[in-house]
Amino acid sequence: MNAPVGHYQYDQIDRNFLQSRIEEFESQVQRRIDGTLTEDEFKPLRLMNGLYLQLHAYMLRIAIPYGILDSRQMRKLSDIAHRYDRDYGHFTTRQNIQFNWIRLEDTPAILRELADVDMHAIQTSGNCIRNVTSDEFAGAAADELVDPRVHAEILRQWSTLHPEFTFLPRKFKIAISGSPNDRVAARFHDIGILARPGVDGTVFRIFVGGGMGRTPIIGQEIFDAVPEDRLLATLEAIVRVYNAHGRRDNIYKARIKILVQAIGIEAYREAVEAELALMNPDHYRLTPETVAAIRARFAVPELVAPDNASEVLAQQRIADREFDLWVRSNTHEHRASGHIIAVVSMKPAGGIPGDATSVQMKRLADLADVHSFGELRITHLQNVVLGHVRQDRLHDLWLSLREVGLASANVGLIGDIVACPGLDYCALANSRSIPIAQKLGARFGNADLQAEIGALSINISGCINACGHHHAGNIGLLGVDKRGEEFFQITLGGRADQGAAIGSILGPALPEDDTVDAIARIVDCYLGKRTAGETFLDTLSRLGDVPFKDAAYEAV
Amino acid sequence: MKRPTRLSAGEKLVLTANRLLDGQIVWRDAFGQWLPQIRHAETYDAESAELALENAKHNAQRDGVVGVYEVAVQDGSAIEPVSVRERIRAHGPTVHPQFATEA
Repeated sequence: MNAPVGHYQYDQIDRNFLQSRIEEFESQVQRRIDGTLTEDEFKPLRLMNGLYLQLHAYMLRIAIPYGILDSRQMRKLSDIAHRYDRDYGHFTTRQNIQFNWIRLEDTPAILRELADVDMHAIQTSGNCIRNVTSDEFAGAAADELVDPRVHAEILRQWSTLHPEFTFLPRKFKIAISGSPNDRVAARFHDIGILARPGVDGTVFRIFVGGGMGRTPIIGQEIFDAVPEDRLLATLEAIVRVYNAHGRRDNIYKARIKILVQAIGIEAYREAVEAELALMNPDHYRLTPETVAAIRARFAVPELVAPDNASEVLAQQRIADREFDLWVRSNTHEHRASGHIIAVVSMKPAGGIPGDATSVQMKRLADLADVHSFGELRITHLQNVVLGHVRQDRLHDLWLSLREVGLASANVGLIGDIVACPGLDYCALANSRSIPIAQKLGARFGNADLQAEIGALSINISGCINACGHHHAGNIGLLGVDKRGEEFFQITLGGRADQGAAIGSILGPALPEDDTVDAIARIVDCYLGKRTAGETFLDTLSRLGDVPFKDAAYEAV
Repeated sequence: MKRPTRLSAGEKLVLTANRLLDGQIVWRDAFGQWLPQIRHAETYDAESAELALENAKHNAQRDGVVGVYEVAVQDGSAIEPVSVRERIRAHGPTVHPQFATEA
C-alpha cells in the first residue's frame, strides 16, 4: 500500500519484530494455561503486551501512536470488537482503545490481526514510556507552528523497547504539540514538549514533572529551546536522572513529579546537564537525514478544494440551523483554504463517553476514506477527528454522521464529558464514572442549551488515579467510597491548556444524584452572574468559588 | 486483594475468582466448583473461610481460576455482596444491562 496519511508506515523490520513478539507471547500464554507459569510470573508478561485482568474479564489496551489511525486500522478494530469482544470498544484519555471483554486464549490471535495492520499493544501498561500522545489537529490546524507528528514518531521509535527504560520507577507519559494553543495537556505530563520554529530549525520547549493522580502537579519548564539535534539526548538524560533517582520504595511517590518536587527544578536541570556532559553527543544526535527519512514515511495529503468551497459551506450553514450549530462547536480552522477539521463527538446525550460500536467504527473508517484521505485521529478527550475535510463536503459528512448517531454538537461544551471506565469495569476504581456522566450528558443534552452555556469541560474520574483527568476539568468530579457508598467530590477551575491549573475542591463530596443537581445549580449560577462574553472560567476567576459553592450546597 | 478484616452482624464470606481462560467472574460452591452465579456460592464464617481460601488457592490452576479471594456478603434470602464493587462483579456492569450476569 501507499504510505498512510498522518502516521508512519512500518517497514519489514517493524513487521518482523511484531511477529516474533507475538510468537513469544503466544508461548507465554500457552505456558500460563498449562500451569508452567504462575499468575505472578505471567502478570508482568501480559501487562507488557497490554493485557490487564479487570473487573469482569481481560482488557486489551491497544496503542494508537500519537492518536492517528488509518481507515484499514479502524476497520480492523471494528472487526476485533465484533469478533472477539462484545461489539464495541472504548477510546481512552491516552488516545488508545480498550476492549473490555477479551479472552486470554484469543489474545495471540487478536495480536496477529493487529499486526496485519501495523498495530500492537506493547507498552500500553507497565513502568515504561507509554504511548506518545500528540495534538489531534497536528498537521492540519491553522494555528500550528510545527507539525509534531514526525517528532512524535521519532519519540515512539526511541522509546519503544528502550533497554534502559523498560523498568522505570513508574509509568512515564510524554506528549508533544506544535501549537501555541496547548491541546495535549503538555504541562500535565511527565514530559511535555512544545515544538516551535527556531532560527536554525525546530526547537523544543520541554516541561517535566507534571501529572495528575493523587498528587496533581503542573509541570515546570526545564529547557526553553532544545535544538532538534539534541532532542533525543536531552530526553534520554531527563529519563536517566529519573530512572536513577526516582523512588522505588513507595508506589505513590514514584512518579517523576515527586522527584522534581523533592529536589527542585534547578537541581533536576543541573543533574540532566551533568548527565548530558557524560553522554556521547554523536550517538544521540538526531540528524536532519534521520528526520527526513522518518518524514518520508508519512504521505502528504493533496489538499485541493474548489474556489467556492467556503461559500458553499456558508450557504449550507444558513440553510440548516442544526448543521450550523454543529459546525460552531465541532470544527476547527484548517491551514489550507477550502478545508476544515471536523471533530466527531463520541458523547451522545446520555451515552457512554468514548464508546464506539463496531458499526460506528466501520462507518467512521468509511467516512475517513471519503472525506479525509483515510485518516482518523483519536483525541485524549475521547473523540474522533477527521482532519482534512473539504468545506463544500462538510454537510455531506454531517448527514452521514447523523445516520449512525455521531452528530452531537457538543465538542468543547458541557456535554463533551470525559470519563474513565470507573467501577463498572476498572479493578482500581472506587466508584462508577459512567452513570453520572450519562446523567449529566442527558441533563445538558440539548444543543441550544449547550451553545448558550458555552465552553465548559466536565471531567470525571472513578478514583484518585485520575484517568478521567478530573484535576484538569473546569468542573471535575472525583468518585470516592464512603462506607461502601459512592460519593463525588467536586472541583472547579481546572484546565489543561497553556494556562494549566488544578481544580480546587469546592466542598464535601455528595451522592451521585445530588452531585448532578449541584452541577446544574453551579451552571445556573454562572449563567446568572456572567457578563457578556465571559466563559465559565472567566466568571469563576472574577468572582471566586464562593457563589458557586453557595449554589452547589444550597439544597444539601 | 485486601481481605475483609471483620464481619458485621448478618455477614458471611464467599470465595470468588476470575476464570483463567476468559476472565469471567466465578464463585465457589459447596462442592468446590466455580460457577458464574453468586447464588450458588458457599458461605463461610471468618474462621472456616480461611481454610477454604487456602484450599481454593492451592487448587486454582487445576480448577482454571485466577485471583482467588474472599468477599463479604449479606447472608439473607439471597446472597448479596456488601460492597458496590462486588455487587457490580456479581451482577455485571450497571451501564450495559445487556451484559448482566444471568441470575
